[in-house]
Amino acid sequence: MIGGTGRMSGGTRRIWLVARREWNQRVRTTAFRVSTILSVAVVVALIMVPEMYGGGANPIRTIGLVGASSPQLPEVLTAAGDRLELTVKTREFGDGDAARIALRDDEVTVILIDQRELVWKAEADEQLGTTITSAIGFLERQAAIDELGLTAAEADRLLQPPELASSSLDPATEEETARADLGRVGVVLLFLMIAFYGGFVLVGVVEEKSSRVVEVLLSRVRPAELLAGKVLGIGLVGLAQFAIVVGAALAALSVSDNTVIPETASGTLGWVVFWFVLGFAFYSVLYAAAGALVSRQEETQSLVFPMTAVQLVAYVLAFAASESPGSAAAVLGSLFPPTAPMVMIVRIAHGGVPLWQIAAAVAIMGVTVAVLVRLAARIYAGGVLRFGARVPLREAWRGAEV
Amino acid sequence: MLEIVDLTKRFGEVVALDGASFTVAPGRIVGFLGPNGAGKTTTMRAIFGLVRPDRGSVRWKGEPVGPTQRARFGYMPEERGLYPKMKVGEQLTYLAELSGLADPAANQAAAGWLDRLGLADRAGAHLQELSHGNQQRVQLAAALVHDPELAVLDEPFSGLDPLGVHSLAELLTQTAAMGTAVLFSSHQLDLVEDVCQDVVIIDHGRIVLAGAVEDLKAASSNRSLEITVDGEPWVPSLADAITDKQDGRIRVLVGPSVDLDEVLAGARRAGEVTSFRFEPPSLTDLFLEAVSEGRGA
Repeated sequence: MIGGTGRMSGGTRRIWLVARREWNQRVRTTAFRVSTILSVAVVVALIMVPEMYGGGANPIRTIGLVGASSPQLPEVLTAAGDRLELTVKTREFGDGDAARIALRDDEVTVILIDQRELVWKAEADEQLGTTITSAIGFLERQAAIDELGLTAAEADRLLQPPELASSSLDPATEEETARADLGRVGVVLLFLMIAFYGGFVLVGVVEEKSSRVVEVLLSRVRPAELLAGKVLGIGLVGLAQFAIVVGAALAALSVSDNTVIPETASGTLGWVVFWFVLGFAFYSVLYAAAGALVSRQEETQSLVFPMTAVQLVAYVLAFAASESPGSAAAVLGSLFPPTAPMVMIVRIAHGGVPLWQIAAAVAIMGVTVAVLVRLAARIYAGGVLRFGARVPLREAWRGAEV
Repeated sequence: MLEIVDLTKRFGEVVALDGASFTVAPGRIVGFLGPNGAGKTTTMRAIFGLVRPDRGSVRWKGEPVGPTQRARFGYMPEERGLYPKMKVGEQLTYLAELSGLADPAANQAAAGWLDRLGLADRAGAHLQELSHGNQQRVQLAAALVHDPELAVLDEPFSGLDPLGVHSLAELLTQTAAMGTAVLFSSHQLDLVEDVCQDVVIIDHGRIVLAGAVEDLKAASSNRSLEITVDGEPWVPSLADAITDKQDGRIRVLVGPSVDLDEVLAGARRAGEVTSFRFEPPSLTDLFLEAVSEGRGA
């Protein structure tokens, strides 16, 4: 339970009371518990699953050796693996069948038969294949050198891999990759939360209309107060759930060893919360206005679709922006209110966003939300007391009584 | 005192209210009567700011009505409804709080009303679990939970059985006795005849009659005459004033100059007179009279 209303008075008190009811009614529901657990599961999976697909920094790869092989092979394989930052181990098998069973059971990554044949469980691991090929090549050159009776210097020239200097035009550090990942997690969170809690606002408004309780409420509360309280209450429930999910995300990041948690993580998450507030405000008042136009839950589908479509566009744009956070499309997307929350999160997570752009995005968003709240409140007031057929937008606009 | 002054409202081509004015005094039960579509609901919504009048005003104790005044009003809309999945007690507490009651007082008020309506044991039940009759009671409690100074009830008697009508009438009488101004609407005049002390009759957005029921009845020059004759079909000489005719029972509205002896003699000639009532006009009579005058018939 959220606490009392203290010495608040008038409109503020009523907004708070409406918000408190929304909070109390919603956190008790199974829907809240289930959705919290699901969100946590989705986010944790998003962080952990790429690792399971072999994206990890240094998982151990075991090579099963069958048949004739050089006694030096294990040592050479390990050394070749080290150069590619792979941890390579070997295990010898007496016969092919035992090795195949081990391969099926994932005890080994690959079987090497007579130094000539590789057997994979399913798809070949290109990196490991290259490592093995180079190790065997090394051993064979070694054998050839011995046969030819070359001097140590001549042998070195043949065996020593050339030292190539390496540099990148645009180096992506582990830190940067992690930041991009963080940005993507933020976008997924924002998308889910805004769609979910925006939907709650829509359903809540329609519920009050279809049950007709809205007229009882409006004899005590102004439409704008009811709208504000509903959005605030549901938004707070959303933030609470957000906190839980973000906590789970941080925990998952800390146990997954393939991702370096960037030092900017907490800052970025702070921004995610900030943009959730703005994004939720933007979309939820639209949802509320839409809800005021219909009288039954079945009619909401046609209203939800266009708004979900806009959010999907924002989502796709945000993922595109995570590849090129400085592009013109990304910059514009981060300033345009419907797409700003998700795109800006990606850019902020990446870092290096000019301060004026953040300030401009927040200002544009703030002004848009302020205007939208007034427009939506008018449509809400004009539609919410009209029961029956769907209210045309124009009539709701004109019919605003309060 | 609630004052409705010159209230006018158009919805497109439809004139819902056309300069309606009347008052509701503290401690009085005022029946707001009129046919469907006469403007009753629009007037009530205007009191709560749910309809913005084109002209005219609503005043309470001499002040224009705003959120401060409305916090002391209670409203039961014609379209009934509360939260179906919210606990009854919490629901009433919430509404009391929205009307300005502080936390413990709101709780006590809700519990008090549930107790009074015999629903104390259902406080923890969801509204939708209650019977239809009990939901109606909770709806009424929702309007009155904060002990308003003005109670506005839109068609509170519709859908009630005779027992329900009786207990609601009793409740309204008690409420008014505590000083609350009660305004309720109805289009079923016979049902509310005994409930209201004052009436306001509205037709086509205009108030056609208003005042204390007793005064209006006394002031009316007409009288209601009801005769039941067991015998031949019989029609009195004042046939054009017949308001109701059923088997042998005839009701007529007559002027002050009627010769009762002559009417009775005529009835006796037709058969045995089993009842003969001569009394002030009923609410229905007043209503029909006022409406037909108002429409210029």
